[in-house]
Amino acid sequence: MTIFWFLFKEGFKGLLRSKYSGAFSIIIIAVSIIMVGFGYVIARDTLFAVGNIRSQFDVDIFIVATAGPQDIEDFHQKLRSMNEIDQILYISPEMAAEKFKKEFGEDIFDILDYNPLPPSFTISLKSIYRNLMSVEAIASILQRDSIVDEVKYRKNFLIILEKYQRVILVVVLVVFAVLTIISIILTSNSIKMTIFARRDIISTLKLIGATNRFVKMPFVIEGTLEGGLGALLAGLIIYGVIYVQNNYLQSFFDYRLNVSLRYYIALFVLGLFLGWVGSRRAIRRFL
Amino acid sequence: MISFINVTCSFRKNAGVKDLNFSIDDGEFVFLTGPSGAGKSTLLRLIYMDLFPEKGKVLIRDFDSSRMRDRQIPYLRRKVGMIFQDFQLLKDRNVYQNVAIALYASHYKTREIKSRVYDILNQVGLGHRVHHKATELSGGEQQRVAIARALVKEPMVLLADEPTGNLDPRVSIELINLLNKINKKGTAVIVATHNYSLIKRVPGARLIQMNEGEITSIT
Ligand SMILES: Nc1ncnc2c1ncn2[C@@H]1O[C@H](COP(=O)(O)OP(=O)(O)O)[C@@H](O)[C@H]1O
Ligand SMILES: [Mg+2]
Repeated sequence: MTIFWFLFKEGFKGLLRSKYSGAFSIIIIAVSIIMVGFGYVIARDTLFAVGNIRSQFDVDIFIVATAGPQDIEDFHQKLRSMNEIDQILYISPEMAAEKFKKEFGEDIFDILDYNPLPPSFTISLKSIYRNLMSVEAIASILQRDSIVDEVKYRKNFLIILEKYQRVILVVVLVVFAVLTIISIILTSNSIKMTIFARRDIISTLKLIGATNRFVKMPFVIEGTLEGGLGALLAGLIIYGVIYVQNNYLQSFFDYRLNVSLRYYIALFVLGLFLGWVGSRRAIRRFL
Repeated sequence: MISFINVTCSFRKNAGVKDLNFSIDDGEFVFLTGPSGAGKSTLLRLIYMDLFPEKGKVLIRDFDSSRMRDRQIPYLRRKVGMIFQDFQLLKDRNVYQNVAIALYASHYKTREIKSRVYDILNQVGLGHRVHHKATELSGGEQQRVAIARALVKEPMVLLADEPTGNLDPRVSIELINLLNKINKKGTAVIVATHNYSLIKRVPGARLIQMNEGEITSIT
């Protein structure tokens, strides 16, 4: 306990003592976190925008022409009971004819003397089911119902979408790994300046019988504190940017930034991590 | 307590020390003399295992240079106190902190640290200087802080490499008298110096004379 408290105080005092190089490290860490933090939001929102276009996952269900009103009502009831489904839209043959007229500018009754359009349902899925696999599964369940003539969805489009989502995800992960590595290198280089300025204490401690752990700990604690402070600085700046965007700039960029408390906590943990790994890396040279 | 067995340790161009054989017992006072470059510092560094022999071995109690692992070195150094010509104090800390840090590094408890530090500072005559910054002290006082830091963990031997090199003659004599007093209490002391006038200040001390890396005479 004595030893832990001593090392913590040493780390804290070190932070106060290393004015410029300490401030520099904090700024480097803050810049790193801002890069990663905004990178994350942009990547997340892009993926979300692409992946969550609601109508792309809609499923159209065409009913057989022989189905009576009661059959259709029963089927509607069955759809309501499926918990994958978010919204159900019933399109009667009359509504279908009107839709046809709107879309093609011609009255179907001018071409044929009867309405060939079957009744149908358009269902949209809850967001967690908006992926190719779930859509396929739901479609095949519905297809089995004898009242269903045909189930249609945008299969080819969804296949391509999933492929690109995976590519984008890999690219995002790689970019993040690279950003994190760059952050660690930058952080450890700036912490090295701090340590260099106080290398006399390292050699002295080693002469009087301190273990490497003992020598290392104050610097690691100092670096971790710098990481926390850098994260706080980054958090404030990100908060400010989000505030300005959402309150003043939304008419210029039609985009609303939404982040949760969890996001800020994650950035804080990232800051501690950068400071910790960076200082451990930095001190290795001097031991 | 300390044994050198056929120890050779060289740097580039063969400088260093050659084929040293001697031993030092508990509680002895030893002067290590010889001209500059004779190998005195190298011999001391071999004792606190800042250097390792390329031939032969150095034994310090249970520590054997030929079997030492890096992680054992701190434990040896808690048994071997060291002071240097340039004191090597932490300039931005006060006297108390400079001494206490040696005990923190050896994992003592807070209460024990306090009483030991005050006790040792009184012994070296610095009881009234506890809260001064190291840099506010005279050379002689700084060297006494270094001695306190070396002694506070009760080492079996105190190594002093040119301890009076930066001190004027009167202060040098006081310092040697202090080392003698410490030795009388049971700690072995090894002083490397090229200042022969100090030697006669400690009657009965052993003398190891070196030249060009070799021991030329030993008593
Ligand atoms: N780190 C070193 N690198 C190269 N040569 C060294 C080093 N340390 C000491 N020497 C050489 O070893 C010899 C003994 O040096 P040293 O032990 O410092 O002598 P002393 O302390 O008696 O003056 C000298 O010739 C010196 O130049
Ligand atoms: Mg020397």
